[in-house]
Amino acid sequence: MACSTNYLWRGETTWFCCGPGWGPCGSAGGGACGGCRSDSNHGAWPNASAACWDITRPDYCGENMPRRGCGAVMRVRHQCTNAAVCFTIRDCGPRTRSFCGERTCCNGVCRTNRILDLTPRAYSTIGSLSSGKLPVWIYE
Amino acid sequence: MAFGVLADVAPLLLGGLLGWTGLAKLTSRTLQRAASESALMRVLHDVRRVSGALRTLGAVEVALAVTLLAVPGRPVPVPGLAAAALGVGFVGYLVHARVTAPDSGCGCSGGDSAPITWRAFARAGLVVAGGLLAAAATGTWWSALQDRPAATVGIIVAGIAVLAMLSTDLDQLWLLPLRKARLRLLGHPLDGTAGPVPLAATVELLERSLAWGAAAPMVRSALIDHWDADGWRILRYAGVCRDRPVSVVFAMDATATMDTTQNPAIRVTMIDELTQEVIERPPLAVMS
Amino acid sequence: MNPPIDRRSFLTAAAVGGATIVGASALGGLDPASAFADPTPSLDPAIDTAAFAEGRVTQIKGSALEVAGSHGDQHVLQITNGTSIWKVHPTSINAIEVGDGLYARGVDMPDGTIAADAVWVNIVNLHCTVSGIGRDRIQLAHGQNSVVGNVLPGTTTASYLGGAQTSDLSGMKIGQAVQVLGAWRPADDSVDLVTMWVGH
Repeated sequence: MACSTNYLWRGETTWFCCGPGWGPCGSAGGGACGGCRSDSNHGAWPNASAACWDITRPDYCGENMPRRGCGAVMRVRHQCTNAAVCFTIRDCGPRTRSFCGERTCCNGVCRTNRILDLTPRAYSTIGSLSSGKLPVWIYE
Repeated sequence: MAFGVLADVAPLLLGGLLGWTGLAKLTSRTLQRAASESALMRVLHDVRRVSGALRTLGAVEVALAVTLLAVPGRPVPVPGLAAAALGVGFVGYLVHARVTAPDSGCGCSGGDSAPITWRAFARAGLVVAGGLLAAAATGTWWSALQDRPAATVGIIVAGIAVLAMLSTDLDQLWLLPLRKARLRLLGHPLDGTAGPVPLAATVELLERSLAWGAAAPMVRSALIDHWDADGWRILRYAGVCRDRPVSVVFAMDATATMDTTQNPAIRVTMIDELTQEVIERPPLAVMS
Repeated sequence: MNPPIDRRSFLTAAAVGGATIVGASALGGLDPASAFADPTPSLDPAIDTAAFAEGRVTQIKGSALEVAGSHGDQHVLQITNGTSIWKVHPTSINAIEVGDGLYARGVDMPDGTIAADAVWVNIVNLHCTVSGIGRDRIQLAHGQNSVVGNVLPGTTTASYLGGAQTSDLSGMKIGQAVQVLGAWRPADDSVDLVTMWVGH
């Protein structure tokens, strides 16, 4: 699976920090896979492993995305601006179960549920970090 | 006399505490996650080694708990002194972690590990004190229960309460409900914070709009400047249009939010940064 | 830097006279909207090559920021009139202090520096649980840590399950899951609350 155009999933993405960093990111650790870095194009997937699924439980929100483990490469596209970036899965997340039903819409078309988490580098390529979450489509 | 009862009961309380934290470390399914965020990572640098260390520590705690609880006949001071030594080790580790990695967790209970606040230090201190008391015991806890039942039960209950209050893992059971009740009784401290439309709500509406999608290929910065004028909220970004640096300026209704409108009317203007001229017919294409 | 008042008047007049784009329809002879449901991505290779910097500010020399990355790397960021600077809200380079953390997006320059398009100072996005509510602060449990969140009147907003952001915080409840976007304060490790997305 590479950074191509085969549709995988869609929903909301947020961002998180991982690896050594300043402030609250100082103790973030290298992610569930190890090697996660805020300044690399990395991401977190709710179904990176069985243990991960137990934490994120996306099925509570009706999201049953396929298993994609550490090292999986995906492409994410901002639904409204078409800005896109390729990234590698290096962690487990986000906690989909806590925000079931949350929507982000643009121009009347809505994406529901948090199904992806990106590092600051990857997220800032497709949006402003201060926006917190974006509606996206994911490909591989 | 009270001291005697306290010393006799100490092995019971200490054994209970160490047994609980030790078992939690041994049986935790989220140990690796807690390990990856604990201060031990800075020392051992490997999640597997830290997990292994925590599991080993758990086994030591359980073994110590068993010897403290199941003392046959006359109590022996060794388990008490061993527990006290363990407590001193805990305190030293907490000090080191607090100094070198103040944001980290301590890994103390194996699961959602507690933050290193004064409560963690207090609990470690109690392990030291409890160990020394246990070493000084002259009778067993069940003989104390028979001889002085009221005092023994009182100390056990008080001891459990103190240990519970020092264990942040148990906050869900009593601290949070207490805070919720206080909120209900005394009112919400943040009542009355509603006010005019905050900037974040306007930006949110903009970023969800067709206008944003149309201008996005030319926008390069995040929000640079903003101001209100005559009921308009003006938002300025930097961008590039036909290879020239531009200001991309949006004008929106200052009272509009995602809740008030699904179809915001947004005016988009591009101004050449070098010539200060408005660009006529900017290439705004509605995205497909 | 805030432009002088006459420039703002000029920009306001120009902006209010700009092309109007309304929701799903467009005025002024622009292309009609197409279906957003089409999942075909567009290719934009330029986007993938943007420069990025992360770290703490070690020196501020005029309009250049020297940044020490968390992996031992060093960066120099050039701040221009076209650079946005976020520190709780849009601000200028004067608000940045040595010791602040940041993320920055920009363009690599031939001299090895980065011409910054956007800088976010001390920005954090934390998944937390509300453990206490006060008059000017919200106590948060962030996994292993206990974080003090400072409520900034007029700035702090809440979004309840995806609703519009509002400055009305009286709906915050103890025990709620919240995603906290804010600015870390290096001095005391607290977080200035900018937006809280409230979950279940």
